[in-house]
Amino acid sequence: MAGSRNWMLASLYWAFAAYLFIPIAVMVAMSFKDSRFIGFPIESWTLQWYVVVVQDAQMMGAFGYSVLIAVAATVLSLAVGLLAALMLGPARYLGKTVLFAVMCLPAVIPGVISGISLRLFIREIGLEPGTAAIILGHTVHNVPFVTIMILTRLNAMPKSQVEAAKDLGADEVVTFFRVTLPFLMPAVFGACMFSLLISFDDFIRSFFLGGYEPTLPVLIFSMLRSGMSPEINAISTAVLIVTAGLGLYAERYTRRLRSRT
Amino acid sequence: MSSREAVSFWGRLVTHPAYQAVQRVALATPARRFALLALVPLVWMLATHLGPLVAMVRISLLEAYPLTAGEAPVMTLANYASFFQERIYLQPFLRTLVFSALVTVATLVTVFPIAYFIAKCVPGPRQIRLLLILLVPFWVSYIIRTFAIMVVLGNRGALNIALRELGLIDLPIPFMYTYFSLAFGVLYLTVLYMLLPLYAAIEKIDDRVLQAAADLGAGPLTRFRRIVLPLSKDGIASGCTLVFLLSTGYYAVPLLLGGPDTTLFAETIGNFFHVAGDRWPTGAAFAVIMLTTSLVAVGLFLRLLGRGGARLV
Repeated sequence: MAGSRNWMLASLYWAFAAYLFIPIAVMVAMSFKDSRFIGFPIESWTLQWYVVVVQDAQMMGAFGYSVLIAVAATVLSLAVGLLAALMLGPARYLGKTVLFAVMCLPAVIPGVISGISLRLFIREIGLEPGTAAIILGHTVHNVPFVTIMILTRLNAMPKSQVEAAKDLGADEVVTFFRVTLPFLMPAVFGACMFSLLISFDDFIRSFFLGGYEPTLPVLIFSMLRSGMSPEINAISTAVLIVTAGLGLYAERYTRRLRSRT
Repeated sequence: MSSREAVSFWGRLVTHPAYQAVQRVALATPARRFALLALVPLVWMLATHLGPLVAMVRISLLEAYPLTAGEAPVMTLANYASFFQERIYLQPFLRTLVFSALVTVATLVTVFPIAYFIAKCVPGPRQIRLLLILLVPFWVSYIIRTFAIMVVLGNRGALNIALRELGLIDLPIPFMYTYFSLAFGVLYLTVLYMLLPLYAAIEKIDDRVLQAAADLGAGPLTRFRRIVLPLSKDGIASGCTLVFLLSTGYYAVPLLLGGPDTTLFAETIGNFFHVAGDRWPTGAAFAVIMLTTSLVAVGLFLRLLGRGGARLV
């Protein structure tokens, strides 16, 4: 009886996996279809939509712009997130729970509210919508994720390592750079990849904080608003390969690093 | 070889008089070390995590924004009052709450058996592999996944073609721009945030407890109701909270997948910001209303589950 229930759950699992993968697979298939019309049946195949994308200055520009913003926001998020994790680490002090809640705040605020409140915020501090504003908005949103990933590893760090370093005469600075930071590296790397991905992926903050130059998700959104076209399939497939490849690589790399320590 | 170089670098650094001088002043006491470390993240968090919310509340209370130079700001509650005066605002607001709650329940019901299967029906090492398979689609941008849904649900999309090939329909069913396509899409985008907390909670349930219950004659349904469900409460709480907050916050998804009768409150709010600043205070007030309502809803839900404080992460 348990066996038959297992079998049922297993087929449910695979049906669920199909539900997650089929839309993406269909979208990829459409990018190779030799017709402007998106839909079945597919009669002949082509690579022309990829050629169109590569020659489209606006799409390539948006791609580069998104990469630039993701890298800048990630560098900032890692710097702030690492310090925030150290601040919220094993040390006990009054008000730490409140600080932790404030740190998590941008991650739990619904997307549209986050975009709008940041839009009002940059207006209040006199920052024009544009590159700097988007980088700021992305960093605000990424810091909680980066901090939590690093904090999880920091809290799992054996106390003996830091104590051993102290016993051997290292001061706090040397202990941090030669013991704590190397131990945190897998989490820092994972957080770096995650931050790159969510920043590259972000729509809502880029949409409300952007100037005239669109990031790639904003460009795809405005193209979709005026109707589907095979170029969108092609650029989406290209982006999918880049981000999924990056995600898979990060996953394997972090696990290898973790199993080593 | 490199480690000897490194040692000499750190050795030289700590014996350098300038370093020692700085160290004596800045790192002398634990309190000073902590202050130095916490300065940047503390200022950053207070400024950018709370600042936008403060700005939003402040602007929502202003009569006009941006302020005219030299004029004192006039405070008013009129922006909040306009929300209750017009049905075109109230309707999408209530629709958003009901829709998000229903999608959350649907996600929970869909994902629970999957999470249970991975956590309890397969051996340890395979669990990670099965989880990873389901995580792959989430590395794809969410605008792109929304587009993928549009491709599947279109009149000549995969679903309609499959139904026609099976002989179930003659004419395509217009799935797109309805509650169906919207719910299909939101569920598609949020399942991960339900899966991971549920898996983590179910995985922790001791197999021996389930075995004991079975030995004492509890059937599968009783075991599920009396053991699995109560013991996975933490996972249900965080999963539902995340999915609910995410679905109230989607802006692009309802614009792309929904139709004119499915307008959600995110779009209503967003519309105030496409025009020049004069309608910003009303938009800000509506955003405050939406944020407070969704947080209160989540708070009530967590209390209902018997958890006093909102421990989200």
